[in-house]
Amino acid sequence: MNDDEMRELERKTRAAFDASVESQDAATRSRLARARAKALEELHRRRLAGSSVWMPAGAAAAALVAALLWQREQGAAPEVPDVDVALEDLEIVAGGEDFDMLREDEDFVAWAAEEDLSDGVG
Amino acid sequence: MEDEPVGRSATLDVPFSLGKPDEAREETVDRERALDRFLAGIERRALRIAAIALRDRAEAEDAVQDAMIRLVRNYGDHPEGEWRPLFYRILRNRITDFQRRQKVRRAVTVFWTGRESEDEAPDPLENAVDPRGRPDEAIEGEELLRRIEEVLAKLSSRQREAFLLRNFEGLDVAQAAVAMGCSEGSVKTHYFRAMQALQVALPEWKS
Repeated sequence: MNDDEMRELERKTRAAFDASVESQDAATRSRLARARAKALEELHRRRLAGSSVWMPAGAAAAALVAALLWQREQGAAPEVPDVDVALEDLEIVAGGEDFDMLREDEDFVAWAAEEDLSDGVG
Repeated sequence: MEDEPVGRSATLDVPFSLGKPDEAREETVDRERALDRFLAGIERRALRIAAIALRDRAEAEDAVQDAMIRLVRNYGDHPEGEWRPLFYRILRNRITDFQRRQKVRRAVTVFWTGRESEDEAPDPLENAVDPRGRPDEAIEGEELLRRIEEVLAKLSSRQREAFLLRNFEGLDVAQAAVAMGCSEGSVKTHYFRAMQALQVALPEWKS
């Protein structure tokens, strides 16, 4: 297969795919919109609750420990809403998606490490 | 302008700062909007790709929703440019998990009954010769896609993934490599083999 033939086959197969995406019915689109809303719901709820929306696993654990220690030093009992928020963070940390993905293979670990480094520099 | 208390977060009231609360909140709202736009732009193609890979519509919808939730929860704070390959990485893992479960279920069924489960049995209608499918006739649209899906189902999972991500979703080689968790060279090889298989199986595509 030469380059022109390959490009033409790519174009034709992609056009067939695009047409099938465009023809998705309203019910399917509606279910997708609901799924998207559900995905964003947790984020929205956490923002309204005033907690940190995203916190890396290590930072979440460290923040929780630091907060509890600091409150203990101050002699104040932890306030219930803060503890709830911290527990939610812990649930997310314990959700383990990062670890599931990192377990998959070494290439992704290497890529993720590079990304973290570049995030820190840039 | 009033300065925020140095070294203290107003929301958590602990001795470290996570930035000014108003700015942080504004940034989070912007992120939410960006994620909404991103997911709205990707969801329909993602569902179609998942349906082709899984050959199970309901499971494909679950997989896409799951990928959305996990992307937002775990990678929403990543740069926007990383979302697409990460989303497909998560979706791919979900698809692979489902296929593994199917394989186990099939093995258990065969072990206990000595035959494939009913839903695995060949469908006589599906395998019937299509009178419209003459090799000298141009095929378009849904018919072409149905034929493509048949070819893709016979490819290795890596070849299928490479084709779906590169051709249908339009990821470049580097993004597809992230999504598939392999080297760029592997993506190129798998993709080329998938294209070769399609060319052989669809001689009429040139029409």
